[in-house]
Amino acid sequence: MSAEFTASPESPATAPQEEKRGAFDSFNDMLVRIGRAVGGVVGILYQAGRDSIETIIRNILPFMAFISVIVGIINKTGAGDALAHVITPLASSLPGLLGISIFCAIPVLSPILGPGAVIAQIIGVLLGTRIAAGDIHPQYALPALFAIDPQVGCDFIPVGLALGEAEPETVEIGVPAVLFSRLLTGPLSVVLAWLASFGLYQSS
Amino acid sequence: MPFVTAVHVLGSVATPDVQPPTGVMGALAKAAQAFISTFQEGATFFTGLLVGIVPLLIVLLTAVNALVRLIGQERVEKLGIAASRPGIIWYPVRYLVLPFVAVFLFTNPMAYTVGMFLPERFKPAFYDSAVSFVHPITGLFPHANSGELFVYLGVAAGISKLGLPLGDLAVRYLLVGLVVILIRGIVTEFITKALMARRTRSDEAEAVAA
Repeated sequence: MSAEFTASPESPATAPQEEKRGAFDSFNDMLVRIGRAVGGVVGILYQAGRDSIETIIRNILPFMAFISVIVGIINKTGAGDALAHVITPLASSLPGLLGISIFCAIPVLSPILGPGAVIAQIIGVLLGTRIAAGDIHPQYALPALFAIDPQVGCDFIPVGLALGEAEPETVEIGVPAVLFSRLLTGPLSVVLAWLASFGLYQSS
Repeated sequence: MPFVTAVHVLGSVATPDVQPPTGVMGALAKAAQAFISTFQEGATFFTGLLVGIVPLLIVLLTAVNALVRLIGQERVEKLGIAASRPGIIWYPVRYLVLPFVAVFLFTNPMAYTVGMFLPERFKPAFYDSAVSFVHPITGLFPHANSGELFVYLGVAAGISKLGLPLGDLAVRYLLVGLVVILIRGIVTEFITKALMARRTRSDEAEAVAA
């Protein structure tokens, strides 16, 4: 749609009238320039809208559908209550959250738990339902978000490094470096988030 | 008028003496009811998400996508070159500013391509730092990782069901995320350095032995 605006005012069609340039032509130029700028911005906004709708349809709605089925099954079969007995005590104390984060950060497990963050997302939704039910204090939402996520991207290290045009030797070193780093920084992130969660949703 | 009375009559007749099904058919009917209600529960959850989250997401995604197009992704190269300088003041640029800009402008999988502007020894740490930021950023800027929103949204749904505001949680998630990626970058860079030194030492030992 921006094709009309890309034609420059000095295109072959207007060139013969070059000698008659006057006030009208400079006014015309200005109109063209404004038109092009507005068209550009509108085009960008329109394209952004198109992108966002495509993202919703491609990425977000399918995952919502998937999560809804899981939640329906978990809530109705009573598996939710069984899981709640396991998750609630773990997720509502600092040692429990540290346990979850260390488990997720174990170098052998982290690449298995990683793909698509599916496991982290399911646990996130489960924790959400427990918070809504009042079993977990809302303050613990923040450290819990970090406790369920030390494995983020651990399945993707070789691909991620290849995207950054890393040499094969760097990939060989990078994979264990990231995995071992998580073992330290995973629990550390939970402690930091726990400290940062004071004053969050405190009732006065 | 006759229509209304017909409905009225139908209503009064339909409600009372319906026997609940018994025997084999009763068991089957009960199973069918349980089967359907499982998915009705899921459908209610889905409607909640659709009405509560999707409209905001569409508007927010559109605004941020437009902003990203206006800023342009080309400018990241200069920042990447600045971030690869040695010295302690460049750590926050390398593992805090650069991952933030990369994830914000390039979004989830393509953000890691920004690592190409850094020397080899920083690449694993940059990847670690950038990938650790793809969930904390979704609280405020869901466009950056639209495929994995439910780590945050799942927990946030519980908070909003309690009637509490989400702003505080989203901002703290983002800020703690920034601190965590900085620490993660520094730690991973240190481990990478140690592993690389060990690699060259063992290579030298092999060369001597051969």
